[in-house]
Amino acid sequence: MMIHAPLFASLATTFQWMQHTYLGETIRHSATLIATLEIVHLIGLALLLGAILMVDLSLLGLGIGAYPVSRIAQDLSGWTLAGLAIMLASGPLILFSEAERCYKTPAFWIKMTLLAVAIAFHFTIHRRVTLAEPPEPRPTARIVASLSVALWFGVAFAGKAIAIFQVP
Amino acid sequence: MFLLSICQWVDSTPLSTLIRQSNWLFSTLDTIHTLGIVLVAGAIMLVDLRLLGAALRRVPVVQVVARIVPATLGGFGVMLVSGGLLFSSEAVKMYHSPAFRIKVILLALVGLNALIFHRTIYRDAANWDPAVTPARARLAGLLSLVFWIGIIAAGRAIAYAPGYDLG
Repeated sequence: MMIHAPLFASLATTFQWMQHTYLGETIRHSATLIATLEIVHLIGLALLLGAILMVDLSLLGLGIGAYPVSRIAQDLSGWTLAGLAIMLASGPLILFSEAERCYKTPAFWIKMTLLAVAIAFHFTIHRRVTLAEPPEPRPTARIVASLSVALWFGVAFAGKAIAIFQVP
Repeated sequence: MFLLSICQWVDSTPLSTLIRQSNWLFSTLDTIHTLGIVLVAGAIMLVDLRLLGAALRRVPVVQVVARIVPATLGGFGVMLVSGGLLFSSEAVKMYHSPAFRIKVILLALVGLNALIFHRTIYRDAANWDPAVTPARARLAGLLSLVFWIGIIAAGRAIAYAPGYDLG
């Protein structure tokens, strides 16, 4: 069956199309490629979570010595972006290889929703609060840090759940 | 074989059977182990990148190490317990898995690297030039980075061993 490019098509058709592209088929039929992409994805996650957690701990008053949050955040923003870039490069490739299954998996949609919220939050409110000079008052900083940790952990948990809750 | 008979015995224990037969228990341990390793590796990678002069350059190495390393030890304990339980649920399979052996070797290397670093060059860390860490410290950071990436890779590869469900 030939599936045409998904211009104006339904979401289900788009996901079907993704899996049947040359890219999707190639990755799907190579355990080595899938494993490699998953490893790259996990290393990106490690970088991202490590850097974000360090900044959020600083916001919570558990940072490194007396170093201001803004300095830690500035010093780590490059690695946060690198981690995010690695994940955003590898994630869609994994998705292409199992798009039809992802489409039917609630955890996938939960992850995408949390990811969108986490990214939006990170580059707006979180960014403003971490770089604020003088620092935001404690309560604000704490709420923002807690939300950030909750959102990114949510993304990570939902990601793992995609693999665990296999849909036939 | 001595190791094989130990693995066979482990597989025959009630704990092993319990984890093996419970999807929920196995998946929960798997999730704790995966996310835990990502967190521990992520935190240690920050220390490694600092040693290499690639992150947190304006904070002295001693303060980065003092803040992050003790926090990762607890995480490492969680890894050992969850990893040990996962291993116990399929010990014979692990005995035959090359990826598992590589992972154990890498874990030993990462520990050895950290031990040598802390016992030797790090003793003088308070006197280091904040801008440029000594070559041996950079080497330790680089090795640690490579080993941790290897641990994540080998850990993921275990799931792709023959006879496994992908996922």
